[in-house]
Amino acid sequence: MMHLDEAALRLSGNARLTTAVLAALGATLAITQSAVAQTAFTLPAPPFDLPMLPSPSGNWTVMVGIGGQYMPDFVGSKNGKLMPIPIFSIRRAGSIDQFRGPRDSASIALLDVGNFRAGPAFKYVASRKADKYAELIGLGDVKAAYELGGFVEYYPVDWLRLRGELRQGIGGHTGTVADISADVIVPLIQRLTISAGPRFTWKSTKATAPYFGVDAAQALASGLPMYDAKSGAHSVGFGSQISYRINPQWEVHAYVEYEKLLGDAADSPLVKLRGSSNQTTVGLGASYSFDFRIR
Amino acid sequence: MRRIAFLWIGLAAACVALGAAAAFETRASRLQAIKTVGIVSAIGEEMSLTQAGLTRLGTTAQSLPIGAWALDELIVQQATRLLEGRFRVQPLTYRRAAFAAIRDSAVAPVNLLRSDPFKELVRSDVTPQGLDAYIVITRARSKLGNGRNVEGVGLAEYRTLLADYGLIHALYEVRIIDGKSFNVIEKRAAGPLDNTGTVPLAGPSGPVDEALGGSAPSERLRAAVVDLITRSLPVTFGDMHLIGG
Repeated sequence: MMHLDEAALRLSGNARLTTAVLAALGATLAITQSAVAQTAFTLPAPPFDLPMLPSPSGNWTVMVGIGGQYMPDFVGSKNGKLMPIPIFSIRRAGSIDQFRGPRDSASIALLDVGNFRAGPAFKYVASRKADKYAELIGLGDVKAAYELGGFVEYYPVDWLRLRGELRQGIGGHTGTVADISADVIVPLIQRLTISAGPRFTWKSTKATAPYFGVDAAQALASGLPMYDAKSGAHSVGFGSQISYRINPQWEVHAYVEYEKLLGDAADSPLVKLRGSSNQTTVGLGASYSFDFRIR
Repeated sequence: MRRIAFLWIGLAAACVALGAAAAFETRASRLQAIKTVGIVSAIGEEMSLTQAGLTRLGTTAQSLPIGAWALDELIVQQATRLLEGRFRVQPLTYRRAAFAAIRDSAVAPVNLLRSDPFKELVRSDVTPQGLDAYIVITRARSKLGNGRNVEGVGLAEYRTLLADYGLIHALYEVRIIDGKSFNVIEKRAAGPLDNTGTVPLAGPSGPVDEALGGSAPSERLRAAVVDLITRSLPVTFGDMHLIGG
């Protein structure tokens, strides 16, 4: 057993880790009995397994919750609306909740080497109905858009995330959108984490024009001057969030995202005359997690 | 038109149900047909030391040799004890380092599409051949914090602004490999125990209390790892329907 002790002492390159190891070696390994992941109920084994898929037997964690988000009526609006946001997830017990920013698209990491992740990304952009808001009368509807693309994420250190997304829209807009963000993630204690960082978005002409351009017919119907919105820097901003795990079951979180519209989006008469280039989104939510077991 | 659509949906559902039933029959009947098994264990040669949370730039994981702990021999003993009520367990000879060297690809779809590397190794490296099944226990991986992976046996430290948290882990996965076709009948990573603590990992782990010093620390560390394995192995085998638990 001397082998390990000597090896631990040789770890001079990383004094703090060595200290931790030695402390651990000299520690009473108190495997506390504070039950954290007690299963709420047990389900019987399913009568069959699906081909190619792993058996569902084992422990699972379900998270349910509700959140609320106050956000601009539409991009460029000076008024806001409150929207409820349901929270639901199911995963293998013990699977780790990775850091996620409020502006992140839905994504799956097909490539994961620990500090570098990449994979497909998807974002849904809700339709913009002209008859819902007085500022939009005469501009016509913009259908819902579905943005498909990919993301890359890099952690130079565990507390700094750099993320980029590139997506192509179909439906309401057919342009290209690029998002870049950085987040400093500071765990104050294990249960309390705050994060903050800058954001930048670039959009192509086809992604900008449907929301900020005003053609001749729209100008006539809306009273706004004609405007040809082109590609370029769309917005720059800053976001911050805080999450606190009260106990293994309950977690609360809150966030704020500020965005300053730039370029042709900011110069659009819709924004200049009837809206605002300052866009703020505030959200908060609470979730409850419980485990169940499948035999 | 609508009726035809419903017919197609019904047909697809029936195909899925039949396929699922067939798969169930295959897996269940394969397990029931197993009489003789051998056990391979290859998680206990080294211990990783990992930091996550508020770490310095350039902090990398390190590892220490712990072959002297004879963890793999202990795992084989424990597994034999658990399985011998139902199967005839035979001792195996194999190159442990060859099993320990295999790593999952970082590209997730590759792991789904490629042939399981362990079944090739069982076919080529394990004696005796001809048993009904081989139980292969190897290192599993989990995320720690946001940008760090930990695997196998190890000590980890999660650093925050106001406190540091130490934890010990024994992350492993179990494969049941058919002794004739060498197909993987079942594969399962050991899940977390009920006393995982405040730093979650996707496998057996527990907090390290740094409060006290003492004599024979490595024996105590080994005992904690053994405790994680001893408590998680019956649960994992139970989840895989290898034993009644």
